[in-house]
Amino acid sequence: MDKARRKIIIDPVTRIEGHSKITIQLNEDGLVEDATFHVTQFRGFEKMCEGRPFTEMPSLMARICGICPVAHLIASAKACDALLAVRIPPTAEKLRRLINLSQIVQSHALSFFYLSSPDLVLGMDANPAKTNLFGVLAENQQLAADGINLRKFGQQIIERLGGKRIHPAWVVPGGVSEPLSESDRDAILSSLPGAFAIIKRTLDWFKGIIGKYGEEIAMFGNFPSLFLGLTNRNGGLDFYDGGIRVVDSSRNVIANGLDPNKYFEYIGEKVDPASYLKSTYYVPIGYPSGIYRVGPLARLNLADRCGTEWADRELINFRGLERTAVLSSFHFHYARLIEILYAVERMEQLLTDREILSKHVRSFARPNSEEGIGVAEAPRGILIHHYKIDDNGLMRWANLVIATGHNSMAMNRSVLQVAKHFVHGAKIPAGMLNRVEAVIRAYDPCLSCSTHAVGQMPLHVQLLSSTGEVVDEVSRPD
Amino acid sequence: MSFKLIIGYGNPLRSDDGVGWHVAEELTERLPNSEFEVVQSHQLMPELAEKISRSELVIFVDATRGERPGEWTCKEVHKQAPVRAFSHAASPEGLLALAQGVYGAAPPAFLFVMCGGTFEHGDRLSPTVAERLPSFVAAIRSLAFAGRSQNQELAAR
Repeated sequence: MDKARRKIIIDPVTRIEGHSKITIQLNEDGLVEDATFHVTQFRGFEKMCEGRPFTEMPSLMARICGICPVAHLIASAKACDALLAVRIPPTAEKLRRLINLSQIVQSHALSFFYLSSPDLVLGMDANPAKTNLFGVLAENQQLAADGINLRKFGQQIIERLGGKRIHPAWVVPGGVSEPLSESDRDAILSSLPGAFAIIKRTLDWFKGIIGKYGEEIAMFGNFPSLFLGLTNRNGGLDFYDGGIRVVDSSRNVIANGLDPNKYFEYIGEKVDPASYLKSTYYVPIGYPSGIYRVGPLARLNLADRCGTEWADRELINFRGLERTAVLSSFHFHYARLIEILYAVERMEQLLTDREILSKHVRSFARPNSEEGIGVAEAPRGILIHHYKIDDNGLMRWANLVIATGHNSMAMNRSVLQVAKHFVHGAKIPAGMLNRVEAVIRAYDPCLSCSTHAVGQMPLHVQLLSSTGEVVDEVSRPD
Repeated sequence: MSFKLIIGYGNPLRSDDGVGWHVAEELTERLPNSEFEVVQSHQLMPELAEKISRSELVIFVDATRGERPGEWTCKEVHKQAPVRAFSHAASPEGLLALAQGVYGAAPPAFLFVMCGGTFEHGDRLSPTVAERLPSFVAAIRSLAFAGRSQNQELAAR
């Protein structure tokens, strides 16, 4: 056997949001030595916004993504609230929460039903040409229909509140631009039972099949790490506001109520020359030991409770998976479903709030601060927008800490774990590609606005010698 | 209630890629609301399948790259599950297959495609495409009002 060091490159990774590749480095004995998840696209929004009026930021930043524009809209609007130094009306906060939860539902539905359920329905070794919604439809029509209908449910609420499904401009500095009408409130309320039935049915189905995925649960990013996210004053799940909590792999709280406005004191960002995605770490522990995960798995590991009846019941089942924190990234899927359940229940609470139809939904002010930070939980994890403006209200500087960046180190480590389990020698084994992609998919990385994707995304894997010679190669069918 | 559905899709911030949106805007003003529903979309999303299944006719309007900007084609499309990897954006054929598979009905459907001249950043059509837009809209409007056999004849031309 050739003793040269080799690399396996997966480029691009399919069924995720955006463009990326994976490199797996083999040593001289053909054993996996390292693995890297590279983000190969560059957006540059932080530079683009310099010189623009800060009032444009929510609409501009929403363009970062076609899947989770609402998360950027909210984090951006909160940063602008801080620039205005205003307290937004209570109803405006509730309405922002409502649209954020709608986005959680539609984004999680896309991730689970459209992108990951093919792996769960058809199996990790299924033909990649069939691992799509049509494959799911052929095997489980109810699941396919539920996925489409649940995503539509979330999208329709965003459209109803924001005026359009993609890049709504309803969330503005100081609140929201329009109050909720009684007819819209009633229409959304009437759609909740259907969504609730779908997510309950899906949870039952999922819990019935996870027993088949013991091997994947064991090796899909199953390692100790910190978990980081927002909790409310009572330690409960919160997608809009609160303090930052950090727990360890035993669910011990190592930091609680951290001020999101001082994120730079405890969240470090490291630039990786191999990727346009910055990696973050927990500063008190340092790099790389300060690896942490964010998103659904983290949120359910660190919150004391969800705060709604049925989600809290499911949280008990979720916590029963392991005696400590739930460590396997495979369980991002389970956590995602529980969060959908929570979102549907929480929407009902918000919509039946007596203030929800109040006409006072926006506070007005001129800029009162040169610096503002907005933090919210996006579907994939905590999202931070940090702006500085000049005396004329023009943007001088921006820093965006994106949810997927928080999970960057964990994704690398997860790919490494899967690759070590499957790759032994110079050949790329069947099933490895699907699983390396599937573990990335579990994190639901959102690398770009999907509406900017161009062309097809075939999978191409090369095994290269240290001299660049291709010694093995696998391609997805065209 | 029965209705005909027109879906203009593409990226309206990429110049001629947004021709489907421009067509949709024009038709929204010219077609009776009681008979037609007009949708603008960045991509063909699976969520459109349900609406498609309830319609009596679907017309998709898209842009494409090509050597002759402003030229357009029309063809009848039929339901077909994709043979390529598919995630959250679909083809007209795939959406029809989803409509049939999930909701039990897929109506007759036609795809109008105009060749774009530029796909750079911008929210305006290129002069050539803008000049051809009225005749493009008129052809789509004719097909929208015609019966199915007439539609097939029109598409065949």
